[in-house]
Amino acid sequence: MNAALARGLGGGVLLLVLWEAVVRLAAIPPWILPPPSGIVATTWSARGPLLDAGAMTLFEAVTGYGIGAVLGLVLAMLLALATPVRKLVLPMVVVVNSVPVAAYAPLALLWFGTGALSKVVMVAFIVGFTVFLNALDGLLRVDPAAVALLRSFGAGPLGVLWRLRLPTALPAIMVGMRVSTVRSMIVAIVTEMLGSQKGLGWTIFEAVLQIDFLRVWAAILVASLISLGCFAAVSALERRVVFWR
Amino acid sequence: MTDAADQLDQLLTVGEAPAARAKLQLNGVSRRFGAVQALAKVDLGIAEGEFVTLIGPSGCGKSTLFNIVAGLLEADTGGEVLLDGAATSLLGKVAFMPQRDLLLPWRNVLDNAILAAEVEGRPKRAARETARAMAADFGLKGFEDHYPQQLSGGMRQRVALMRTFMFDRDLMLLDEPFGALDALTRAMMQRWLLDIWSRYRRTILFITHDIDEAIFLGDRVVVMSARPGSIKLERRVELPRPRDPALLTTPAFNAIKRELLDAVEEESMKTFAAGAA
Amino acid sequence: MALLRLVLPLLLLAALWEGAVALLQISPFYLPPLRQVLGAIWALGPAYAQAFMVTLGEAVAGFVVGGLVGVVSATAFHHQRWLRDMLFPLFVASQTVPVIAFGAIVVLWFGNTLLAKAAIAFYLTFFPVTVNALAGFEAVDPRQVALLRSFGASRRDIWWKLLLPSALPRIFTALRLSAGLALAGAIVGEWFGASIGVGAMLLAALFNEQVVAMWAAILTAAAVGGAIFGVVALVEARLVFWRDEL
Repeated sequence: MNAALARGLGGGVLLLVLWEAVVRLAAIPPWILPPPSGIVATTWSARGPLLDAGAMTLFEAVTGYGIGAVLGLVLAMLLALATPVRKLVLPMVVVVNSVPVAAYAPLALLWFGTGALSKVVMVAFIVGFTVFLNALDGLLRVDPAAVALLRSFGAGPLGVLWRLRLPTALPAIMVGMRVSTVRSMIVAIVTEMLGSQKGLGWTIFEAVLQIDFLRVWAAILVASLISLGCFAAVSALERRVVFWR
Repeated sequence: MTDAADQLDQLLTVGEAPAARAKLQLNGVSRRFGAVQALAKVDLGIAEGEFVTLIGPSGCGKSTLFNIVAGLLEADTGGEVLLDGAATSLLGKVAFMPQRDLLLPWRNVLDNAILAAEVEGRPKRAARETARAMAADFGLKGFEDHYPQQLSGGMRQRVALMRTFMFDRDLMLLDEPFGALDALTRAMMQRWLLDIWSRYRRTILFITHDIDEAIFLGDRVVVMSARPGSIKLERRVELPRPRDPALLTTPAFNAIKRELLDAVEEESMKTFAAGAA
Repeated sequence: MALLRLVLPLLLLAALWEGAVALLQISPFYLPPLRQVLGAIWALGPAYAQAFMVTLGEAVAGFVVGGLVGVVSATAFHHQRWLRDMLFPLFVASQTVPVIAFGAIVVLWFGNTLLAKAAIAFYLTFFPVTVNALAGFEAVDPRQVALLRSFGASRRDIWWKLLLPSALPRIFTALRLSAGLALAGAIVGEWFGASIGVGAMLLAALFNEQVVAMWAAILTAAAVGGAIFGVVALVEARLVFWRDEL
């Protein structure tokens, strides 16, 4: 375990050193690829506006995430109970899902404006979809023998849902929630890039227009750190919730 | 068997043990799945407090029979399933233990044991207290807070049995509960089950593949025929209780075993031939 | 029968669309009638066909390379523990980077070419395939490997005859997911200055506030997604025939 950690850190350090060395030795201009030290320096000197932008994006991502996760879970539970409706609805869901969520971003901007609302809606949409599909899969993938056992105890569909399906689906639900963290940041940033006056996506868009690629990299760094933080938090939660794995 | 013989048989049973009325009575129970006749006119009575073991070749419809008695499956019209003499829905009235332990990995031993009680809406705290008191009987003292994945196969099976006992029903259905255990653990679990049974006195229908197990445990052994399943033979086991392992090598035991082996062998050959054809 | 199960949801959805617009009097600002959207596509048929082909090419290029790289890295990680320890955390970290933000930089590197969009599609696809292929390799029963070894099988034999087939179901699960991701990558990649493609059409529609054109582009995106997804599902049905259900 410790060896693995050491190797992992070694790999990270090796990548950074290699990057720095290549950029310096080959004298690559910063607008093509800045060295890590340059990115960190730029991030530090622009930390004020970057943090503001990061806070905005994080707010949109977290709000949309919460709404989407709840909606996705509730919908999955309803459809898990209502088999006939599910058989009708699910194929249509799959069709709608075949379009990447990003393609709906222009629509969201047109409908909900360039403020935070359009980003929250987009994030809720992608998180909701991810959680819904994962949860439904988990809820339906229970051992039929276990369902029979609970029924023999006199449990109805709700009892089976609460005592068996939901806990059985919890690992799948948590996977959906974990995957959703990164997606929610990405979608918030994408939607911001298309239209907004605030946030990391907007920062990146502005920097590209001004041909300030160091600032693009700095914004990417901040976004990555926030994503990584959210990802780690949800992963930790997952380990606590799904303790029996 | 003719109807007259049937009646005579029942009269005789009643005459033999006047106190024992039928806890469960199956009359001409059949079940067909599409083109497959799984069960054909099964007649079987189990008296109150009796331990009946059921053996038969694989694929003889044992599981179908079990699911019908557990109330999970409807029998085809024509037959009747009577519990305490009444034809009611059996779901929730029979304590049923499936082949696999089906313990829920997110619940510890006590919470797995009280699952049925919880479904019934009994208060959790009281159920946990009852379970805690029962844990010693089931050899689980000190393991109440362990999770299933921390237990051995034999212990898991005891938790599943405890869950079945906690589901306080007069009739218990055990479907090969020791099938997955190694021979030594299995022998221990058998003796332990008899001990528990003598203390809690429930009516038990116990399915198994193992003839020794069937004789060792049962008051009566029932042999099912090859598909379509029906009752081929019933054999009362007049061996004294409490039983101990020495019994397995007695001539009386072997005589019963001989008789049952012949019957099972014959049915297995039928299944085998049908499979080969 | 299979065709019916494919077409039926589409027809149902179309009926729902038309019906909802007519009955609920939905403003065309939100949802124009389906007829109108299809009409717009029909009127500019060649343009939409071209966008379809361009975006499809970008997504497929990234998807194929991503899938191959995923399987190859998983194989390497499976056989070399140290490599896995060293690189896998980087793979995970790479996925928390909002790749879309890279769009501008990737376009700067590769110019406005197919390569730029394919690179983004690639970045989104290789990771799920790596994870699932690795999980598939690791799930193989070591006793089965030992059995093949006892037959004198080489590492290559074991990989082709045991590891890869065992991992295929999981690999295809990842590929189905990646099909959508690759398309997303291609579309967003086109937002950084491309003039042809579904993504470019979406952006143009946004700037001109043309809802009908936007929906037309979304339908085209659905067609691209459906095409990739359909091929993956077909190949999966041929290769993983032994798995009855998901």
